[in-house]
Amino acid sequence: MELTRRDAVTALTAAGITATTGCSGLAGDTTGDAEPMDTLVGLAEVLYPSDVEPTAEFIETFMYGRISDEESYREELAAGIETLNTLAADEQGGAFHTLSADQRRSVIENTDLRSGPSEPDGSDVARVNYYLLDELLFAFYSSPTGGELIGNSNPRGYPGGFGYSPPLEQ
Amino acid sequence: MSTNESTTNESTTMTDRTPVDDADVCVIGAGPAGALLSYSLANRGHDVVILEAGPRFDKEARVDRMKDQLHPTHSDNEIWDMGGERDEYSTSGEHSWPINQRRVKGVGGTSLHWGSVVPRLYEKDFEMQSRHGIARDWPISYEDLRPYYAQVEQEIGVAGDDETPFLPRREESYPMDPLPLSYSDKLFKQAGEELGVTVHSMPMAINTGAYDRNACQGYGTCQFVCPSGGKYSADIHVRKAEELGATVIDEAPVQRLNHGPAGEEITEAVYRTPDGETHRQTADTFVAAAGAYETPRLLFLSESAEYPNGLANSSGTLGKYFMGHPPAGVLGIVPGENTHQDEYGPVVSGGIHQFYEYDNPDDPQRASVNMFTINAAGPSPATMAMESDAIGDSLLDQVDTQFGSTVGINMSIEMLPREDNQIGIDESTTDNHGNPVPDVDITPGEFARKGQEKGLQVGSDLIEEMGGNVVYAQGTQTTEHDSLGPLGKGGYHPLGGTRMGSDPAESVVDPTLKTHDLDNLYISSGGVFVTSGASNPTLTIMALSLKAADHIHDDLQA
Ligand SMILES: Cc1cc2nc3c(=O)[nH]c(=O)nc-3n(C[C@H](O)[C@H](O)[C@H](O)COP(=O)(O)OP(=O)(O)OC[C@H]3O[C@@H](n4cnc5c(N)ncnc54)[C@H](O)[C@@H]3O)c2cc1C
Ligand code: SF4
Repeated sequence: MELTRRDAVTALTAAGITATTGCSGLAGDTTGDAEPMDTLVGLAEVLYPSDVEPTAEFIETFMYGRISDEESYREELAAGIETLNTLAADEQGGAFHTLSADQRRSVIENTDLRSGPSEPDGSDVARVNYYLLDELLFAFYSSPTGGELIGNSNPRGYPGGFGYSPPLEQ
Repeated sequence: MSTNESTTNESTTMTDRTPVDDADVCVIGAGPAGALLSYSLANRGHDVVILEAGPRFDKEARVDRMKDQLHPTHSDNEIWDMGGERDEYSTSGEHSWPINQRRVKGVGGTSLHWGSVVPRLYEKDFEMQSRHGIARDWPISYEDLRPYYAQVEQEIGVAGDDETPFLPRREESYPMDPLPLSYSDKLFKQAGEELGVTVHSMPMAINTGAYDRNACQGYGTCQFVCPSGGKYSADIHVRKAEELGATVIDEAPVQRLNHGPAGEEITEAVYRTPDGETHRQTADTFVAAAGAYETPRLLFLSESAEYPNGLANSSGTLGKYFMGHPPAGVLGIVPGENTHQDEYGPVVSGGIHQFYEYDNPDDPQRASVNMFTINAAGPSPATMAMESDAIGDSLLDQVDTQFGSTVGINMSIEMLPREDNQIGIDESTTDNHGNPVPDVDITPGEFARKGQEKGLQVGSDLIEEMGGNVVYAQGTQTTEHDSLGPLGKGGYHPLGGTRMGSDPAESVVDPTLKTHDLDNLYISSGGVFVTSGASNPTLTIMALSLKAADHIHDDLQA
């Protein structure tokens, strides 16, 4: 029997296996302080295509739901946000989340963000690239959210079920 | 993640690594060759202890390993923590095989990493000398192994089509219906119909729902990590063996095997533990199942006055007739076509075995070719996005342009056994325990190269027939070897080096996989293969391991 992806996704979600459920994450860490989340949303806004509006809920789910070793990741996030703010202050004179979208873009373009190395044990900027920027890109491009924009609703890295095989076009 | 790190491994919580009293069987290595054999023996009431060099990996962390796989920063060896002093090796031959990208040390062994493509060997692979006048015959036939093949397929859960053309004759049904052909398989099939090439389904050890493990969830990262556990990996049978009373001692690399005064029997396996202690495991029977890269080294390191050239090496053939399946791959782009890469899930579902048989059986000029069509050809969208410097709309445009129209075929090619292709040890380089490291010296040869050329030609023709452009068509020998990308280099399927035979002067193990020299030492490994065939080897390795388990059971009863 050929299972449709829809069947599989439903079954998966029912079995609770998709591992994308949110958890206490940032909110639990920084009660009453919206800045870290605003920073991440602000970053995602410039990394993602303009038609996409990243929400706090989206960030929460992906940035935390897929990380098994949360404590150390939380530390990397906190450190990464600090690095972003330092770069933003040097380049544009303010904390990252206070900048306009154009200013945020120019922080990325004028520093080693994106263009520099991305490494888990590298320099401060290499770690921001790895733990923040690449994590956000992974969340987007390995999920149907980003995949659908390039015609792929089950990109690699996403557990969207198996066996999707549409008939040949002609 | 740095190499050999164990922070995400379950083993850190297990501290008792002292030997087991009164073990019947001591198995060295917890990969496919050790796991199923241990399960089979534990199931018959034997006390089994498994010594495994690597850790017991935490299943929860597989999602993170999968992310490492897709992240452009990490190379393949890092995904399962391979590398560093523990895993040093040399390649003194012409071809620099990236061995640490081709093996995993830990409970489950390299099957944590594998693609789970599980065809059987063909009848002819066992009878190359009598049928085709080349290489040599195995001392056992396909028919001897057939019931064991069927048992393994049941045990690990194989989805396959009983009617697949070309594949060897079978009398038992596959336990699961085949995976359906993917969209790109169908593109290949359609092109094949024009060219007289048959595309069919491949047998895959992936749970489509009928087995006692999670079903496939479609991550599309089977090679090198299956986060769901839908892909079979040997940790499954290690756990089943433990449930039947077997003991697993992980992070316990065996340093040497010692024998009794007459050199007739192994008495103990000497192993080290992370606390720096050395322990000695005794048992009635020992099974070396440390993989085809490490088993010869263990035997060389266990040299003694009785066996000055390496344990079980009276024949002088230890390490010789080493083989691998030289890989080859074709990647194409079909302009304007959404080939639905990634969307299907399992990386392989279709294949082409039409060129496994020789064009001229009386005088074969080229190797057997085992081709599998790929459902995730080229990098994933996430990898492309992370690799780029762009952001926002321009990044989306870039990924959209690059992704979506690829098709690909990978292949594994037969290689003839040759005495001068060897795996030995390099005395000048040592591992973290001060032991000389494995040293591979191998050249696949003209027969294999012609097989690669055949496969590359067929693959390229198919892609062109569907209106595509071939952007990559290479194999280990068809281009300057060192300029190949890491995936194109060999080392996926190490075979030979401890070959099987009836004549003790010409082989290391007998047809039961017992060493000719020692009464209680067996070798379970692709190392015992006499010829390589072209089929991915692990189903055969596991079938041989079940056969050996039957012989060990008989020994223990006697
Ligand atoms: C990328 C990749 C894809 C593959 N895809 C396929 C495929 O699709 N189909 C297929 O049939 N095959 C495939 N293979 C090959 C398959 O993985 C191997 O054939 C199989 O794992 C061999 O099993 P084994 O138990 O002999 O060795 P391994 O799986 O390598 O296990 C050996 C174990 O022994 C342990 N060990 C080593 N030395 C010692 C020591 N001194 N003391 C204690 N323990 C020790 C190791 O740590 C390891 O855990 C693939 C391999 C790779 C690398
Ligand atoms: S496609 Fe299936 S088998 Fe492959 S990694 Fe995903 S869940 Fe595992």
